[in-house]
Amino acid sequence: MPPIENDTGKNDLKSQIQLLIDSNQVMVFSKSYCPYCVKVKDLFKELKLEFNAMELDLIEDGTNYQDMLLEMTGQKSVPNVFINKTHVGGCDKTLQAHKDGSLQQLLCAETEAYDYDLIVIGGGSGGLACSKEAAALGKKAMVLDYVVPTPKGTTWGLGGTCVNVGCIPKKLMHQTAMLGTAIQDARKFGWEIDEKVKHNWDTMKDAVSNYIGSLNWGYRVALRDKNVNYVNAYAEFIEPHKVKATNKRGKETFYTAEKFIIATGERPRYLGIPGDKEYCITSDDLFSLPHCPGKTLVIGASYVALECGGFLAGLGLDVTVMVRSILLRGFDQEMANRAGEHMEEHGVKFLRKYVPIKVEELEAGSPGRLKVTAKSTESDEVIEGEYNTVLIAVGRDACTDKIGLDKTGVKVNPKTGKVPVSDEEQTNVPHIYAIGDILEGKWELTPVAIQAGRLLARRLYGGGKLKCDYINVPTTVFTPLEYGCCGLSEDRAIELYGQENLEVFHSLFWPLEFTVPNRDNNKCYAKIICNKLDNDRVIGFHYLGPNAGEVTQGFGTAMKCGATKEQLDNTIGIHPTCAEIFTTLEVTKSSGGDITTSGC
Amino acid sequence: MAHRLLVRRFWTLSSKDLRCLPVSSSSSFSTSLQSSRVPVLSRSLALASLRRAASFNVQDHDDFDVRVIKSELPVLVDFHAQWCGPCKILGPRLEKAVAKQSGKVTMAKVDIDDHTDLAIEYGVSAVPTVIAIRGGDVIDRFVGIKDEDELESFVSKLIGK
Repeated sequence: MPPIENDTGKNDLKSQIQLLIDSNQVMVFSKSYCPYCVKVKDLFKELKLEFNAMELDLIEDGTNYQDMLLEMTGQKSVPNVFINKTHVGGCDKTLQAHKDGSLQQLLCAETEAYDYDLIVIGGGSGGLACSKEAAALGKKAMVLDYVVPTPKGTTWGLGGTCVNVGCIPKKLMHQTAMLGTAIQDARKFGWEIDEKVKHNWDTMKDAVSNYIGSLNWGYRVALRDKNVNYVNAYAEFIEPHKVKATNKRGKETFYTAEKFIIATGERPRYLGIPGDKEYCITSDDLFSLPHCPGKTLVIGASYVALECGGFLAGLGLDVTVMVRSILLRGFDQEMANRAGEHMEEHGVKFLRKYVPIKVEELEAGSPGRLKVTAKSTESDEVIEGEYNTVLIAVGRDACTDKIGLDKTGVKVNPKTGKVPVSDEEQTNVPHIYAIGDILEGKWELTPVAIQAGRLLARRLYGGGKLKCDYINVPTTVFTPLEYGCCGLSEDRAIELYGQENLEVFHSLFWPLEFTVPNRDNNKCYAKIICNKLDNDRVIGFHYLGPNAGEVTQGFGTAMKCGATKEQLDNTIGIHPTCAEIFTTLEVTKSSGGDITTSGC
Repeated sequence: MAHRLLVRRFWTLSSKDLRCLPVSSSSSFSTSLQSSRVPVLSRSLALASLRRAASFNVQDHDDFDVRVIKSELPVLVDFHAQWCGPCKILGPRLEKAVAKQSGKVTMAKVDIDDHTDLAIEYGVSAVPTVIAIRGGDVIDRFVGIKDEDELESFVSKLIGK
């Protein structure tokens, strides 16, 4: 890169350098081959100090950096050491400062000057777990949490997505729907129930909200008991070590911390078509909707879409799902399609290969009437439909664009808003970490965020070494027929290992409890993907059937222990259960053998 | 995907502490609940009604200061929540027990979600929590449900009978 001549370029470079100085407790501008630099870096290693070393000989515009450092400090040689934003100098001066104690002073002065050891931005599962762990390890920790209301005005309490508008209400409403099925089954088992069985949305919604209210309070109390300072305010970085917190009355307060953890999570994406924010709802609104949604169009085929569409249909509502291309992107496609087929057989309508282009209100009300216009993704065909409620579930966006990350230098993927981190959840700015749904290429699951947050706090403050393991994470999609999985999808396994190196064992099965009501025969399905090159180790586990979460959890442990097909075969099943199918899988997919089952 | 650990921990406590046993609300309690949900009740109106009513809803921290901490009479503070079933049973019982003392004690109702800071400050972990305050000092407290007799003796103790 040529020397920088123009002022803009110079100013950019200057602010880049200043950012490095401001955001690193110890910043060393160094050259990889310089023995004095090595000496200084060794000193910091010996003192167990976190430092950021920039090797000027290894970067393209290193000489420009050196010129600018000369301008800024009057020192051209390396190492050029800064501690807590103060210029210390080269090797001799740094060693001298260590000897006479001024280095220690510089280090301590600033640490004490921060209000907190750790500020966590976001009071979801990950943020709460991490802050409590840090406080338990004796650190002064703060959580800043604020829920920006949805376009419909919905808001909620402490605890993040999972607790308020995710896993918890979702599973409770899924349970509501399953009880409806159970009532139907019950008649076949001899229960005499009135023909007319009705569901009351308000009763369910209030019961769910009440439970969530108690959870919100429980989290608040836990923070008090663990000595975590909690402030209900929107946090924005204004400097690398300083945030501005704005509460709901608009009052601004400023806090500084030595370290930060960004755990702001994600919020539902809108379509960007006329009428979407005005008339449509998202999962953020659904669980506390003040009225029964009535005839509903679900837009999207994410797990959120299928789960919500599934339980709404289970409550007896008329549900249509509009799908642009495939179901459950990222999941095993065979399983996704089987789960979708089951929904279709149970009355959910699918509009495939359509995208909505506008939503209009025909009549206001609770619920009102909406007209949705959509066009085919394959032709010029345009269709219209009328619904009471339109639920958008086309994905979620990371909440990283309005928290002042540009003031810190934290790199964000400009396309997705996701934050890339090291395997220790550290961003490119050493004192800022990130956990949870905003991480690039990681799982968007509450227990993963909790684990990552807790382990991060232990590594930062408790001498912990363990890193969060993002491999073989079990999870479950609560579609009407639940889908649990762990490890690789068949599609991904083929990509990674090649079809010839895999053996896929599979089977349909009929849960005993479905036999008397005589429903869903040979709809449940089990599949494992084994790596032939590695002792038939199980690298993918897939289960479509009742209680998928309960079934999958234990197999997740087995896979963590490196379970092989032989070990599954040697395991004795529990009879009669669904899970036992995994101890008797015999038919390989490549054989094309019959996988329907009958009898014991 | 559930928030297992924390949820479990919370519920373990709750069953032990009667933090919030799900009890279906009975319609006879609905009026008192509604009134506690209406913060539009102006201060002056609230103060005026104080002279007659034995119980009142705390409006904010200052209100708590004036009507509870600086109260000449002993005060029972009922920390409750909308989502708490047992609170809906205890509230009316408490009001009755307080009313029986004909003006020797008052009752302050604090919704912990509307006035979280107060609840946190007074160490409320589970609801219902009832705190007895005399001359600004907490002199007694209990958590969970009590029957009418127990409440009566709790109140009597407070007014020094």
